[in-house]
Order: sequence, then C-alpha cells, then structure tokens
Amino acid sequence: MRPTTGWVRWAAPPAIVVSIAAPALAMRYLSVEQAQKVAFPDATRFVEAHVIFTPADVAAIERRSGQKVLARGQQVWRAFSGDRMVGFFIVDYVIGKHLVIDYAVALDPNGRVGHVEILEYRESYGGEISNRSWLAQFVGKTSQDPLQIDQDIRNISGATLSSRHVTEGVKRVLALYDTCLR
Amino acid sequence: MTPACDSVRRARPLLGTFVEISASGARSGDLHAAVSRAFDIVADVHRLMSFHDRDSDVSRLNRKAATRPVAVHPWTYEVLRWSAELHDASGGLFDIAVADTLQRVGLLPDGDSGRPRVARPGPRPAPVALLAHNRVRFTRSDVRLDLGGIAKGFAVDRAAEILQALGVPRGLVNAGGDIAAFGAEPFTVHIRDPRDASRILAEVHLSNEGIASSGAAFDRRAGAPRVAIVDPTTGRLASTIAGATVRASRCVLADALTKLVVVSGRSADALLTRYGASALLVSWHGDVLATRSWGKELRPAS
Repeated sequence: MRPTTGWVRWAAPPAIVVSIAAPALAMRYLSVEQAQKVAFPDATRFVEAHVIFTPADVAAIERRSGQKVLARGQQVWRAFSGDRMVGFFIVDYVIGKHLVIDYAVALDPNGRVGHVEILEYRESYGGEISNRSWLAQFVGKTSQDPLQIDQDIRNISGATLSSRHVTEGVKRVLALYDTCLR
Repeated sequence: MTPACDSVRRARPLLGTFVEISASGARSGDLHAAVSRAFDIVADVHRLMSFHDRDSDVSRLNRKAATRPVAVHPWTYEVLRWSAELHDASGGLFDIAVADTLQRVGLLPDGDSGRPRVARPGPRPAPVALLAHNRVRFTRSDVRLDLGGIAKGFAVDRAAEILQALGVPRGLVNAGGDIAAFGAEPFTVHIRDPRDASRILAEVHLSNEGIASSGAAFDRRAGAPRVAIVDPTTGRLASTIAGATVRASRCVLADALTKLVVVSGRSADALLTRYGASALLVSWHGDVLATRSWGKELRPAS
C-alpha cells in the first residue's frame, strides 16, 4: 500500500472541542422596508392591503396548497411605480423543526414568483414550538422588536439546513394570491 | 441599529438549502443590486441542474441522452467537463451517475422511468461523452445523472464571480456550507463537527478561495446519521468517514473533492495535492486528520 504521509492527526484540545457549541441560530438579514426596496427597486410606493382571512379563504388556501393556515391574515403590499402596479410583496413565516423563518415573496402583477428573500430566522426549540404562548411571541414581530439576533453570526461550513419548509410556505402564499388577490 | 451602508448580508432559499451572500466595500445600493444579480445566477444554475425539475438540463439528459446527443447550457457543459476530469483523475471514484443508488436508498425520488436500476458495484467508465457545441450523450443506457455533488460549488463560484465583475470589493457566498470568499481581508469560516452538528470543530481563514464540507446528516429513513455519498467501489453509501472539509482554489473543486475524501479517506491525498487542495477528515471512530499543508493553519474555534 502506498504510504500516506500527507495527513497529520489533528487534535483540538479536548476541553475546547467539548465546550464549544455552535452559535445560536438567529439572524436578521433585511427589514421589511429594505426587502421591499430590493424586490422592487423602481417602485415609488408600497400600498398595504389588509388581508384578513374569512373561514372560506382559509379553507380555499389549505385546499389549494395542502398547507395548514396558522395566521388570520397576511401582510401584503402592492408595489407601484408611479401609477403602474408592478407587483405584490408578501411577508410570511414558516416554523420548521429547527427554525422559525420570516421571509418575503415578490410576485409580478400576474402572480408569478420573482424571488423569495429571507428576512430573518431564529432557532426554534422542539418541545416549546407546540406551546402557543411561545409561538405568539413571534407572530406579528416588527423589525424594531429586539430578538436575540447575533449580527456577527458565523459563516459555517458543515451540516446544512433544508429549505423545504420555505418552499412549502411559498405554495401557501401562492394559494393566498389565487384566493384573495387575483 | 442599521449598520453603515457599506455591508449587506442576504439569504434566499435556493439549491435546496439557504444561500447566503455577504458583500461589502461599496455603496449599499450597488451592493444590493450586485447581490440580487448573484442570487439570480444561483437560481439559473439551480434551474439548469436540478434533478427534481423536469425541465432542467439534468432531467432532459436523463430522459434523452442515452439515445442521442443533447445540447445543454454552457454552464451545464462546464460542470460535466469538471466531472469528467475528476472521474478520470480519481479512477472512476468521482461518479455523477449514481442517482440510481441514491434512489434505491431513498435519497432521491424515483424518476419518471419507474423503478431505479441498481448499479453493479465497482468503478464504471465515464458516463458522459462530451461532444462539440455543448452537446453531450451518455456512454451507456443505464446512466442516471445527479449533479448534486458538484453543482452547488459551481453555483457558488459563478455567484462570487459576478459579484466581483460588478465591482464588489469583498464578499462571501455560502450555499449550505459550500463557500467562496474574495477580497483582501479574509473571512473566518467555522467547520461544523459532522458527528455532532451542534459543535464547531475548527475555524479557518478564507480569502480568494473555496471551501466545502460533506458530512453525515440524520436520516429518518435510516433512523441514524448517514452520509449521502455513494462509494462506487461498493455501490453503497460511504460509511467509514463521517465528514470531510476541503479547501481549494475554486468552490466547485472543493465541493467535488469532499466527495472523494469521504469515499477514499486518506488515499485521496494524491488527488488533493494534484489540485493544490487541503482537507480535514473526520472518521466515525473519532480520528480527525488534516492534510499537512492545512494542519499548521487549522485552529480550534474560539
């Protein structure tokens, strides 16, 4: 067998290895206002549409998307460039096994997805996530609310997070468009 | 508490994970425009190379390329060229035609051609013939491509390239752990322990290069952590190495080479040297090894 001289055994001081936990996963990327600007750079104004779901809306959205609707309404803006409507900007959140993720979906005027942008995420804790009051603290959060956001969150190479929950959330947002905005 | 207008950090769900892009050193408006453009590029790569999307180049190839040459996007062609080179350099250990095995063990959904065919163990000849004018065809009828082992690194490189082309002085693109960094001042990158994702194993400083990690993830189907990389010599998932991190001049190389380190462990040495790459590997029974070139620089996370 060819000698393998190229490797050295690397040993971090064991005390350090066991004591360093990965940083808490929490990060704020963009405020709603920043994300609106990024989504529609040419827009001159954003007009909020107050979408409150009726029970029929909830049923329709759940049927169309196959996703459970937890919220009672949705934060939706119409973006205008002068008098021209250039698209929709919709803020939503999903709760995964590990993370609560706030994100925004930019739709063109015909309801086609332009892109999905993550606004912020926070770690969710297995058992606590089913606790309604714990959940409540994340519902209707504004960008001003202090959360334990680590602005210096690290760049990590290693086990990755799946974006499946967001992909499923986007399906629900599209069903909302079909139901309430089209 | 808005930070000064010379640094942005954003994330989008792409490539099945979260892609994060940091950019700094220019006007905030310009940085945002460049980052948006870079995300669009990643989305383009995703559309071209997704196994799941019926209209991707990969899906078109899997449907047609066994019977006739198929024209692909220049980027897909480039990834196939890298794959062919690495297949050749590794004696067939880097194999992009292992979708059948991944389907068999439940790591990829069954395609439209029904029940997955099962690979015979042992390295196989190059699965793809590269023809003129960005056309390719399969060399055998049983080929089913999955570019999951290399496309993410390629996307990261393309995104970092466009940021630089648009005048961003310093930036980092991170697609679920596949990272490219550029600029004068290095970025600190932490490497997760593949045996325990809540732990950081080490930190390195990265500038104008790529890094990628492949490691075990908990698998509900298997009821245990496992590595989603096929060892072509056995036709099964690689099982001795829990994870590997490779650092190379480009992220596409780092991404592909991690698969080879996971499959061949210490003997990936020569290949790493050939590409000027360095690596850290963690075996299931606890050994942590680093290539000599990297050993000096690696430090415990602080």
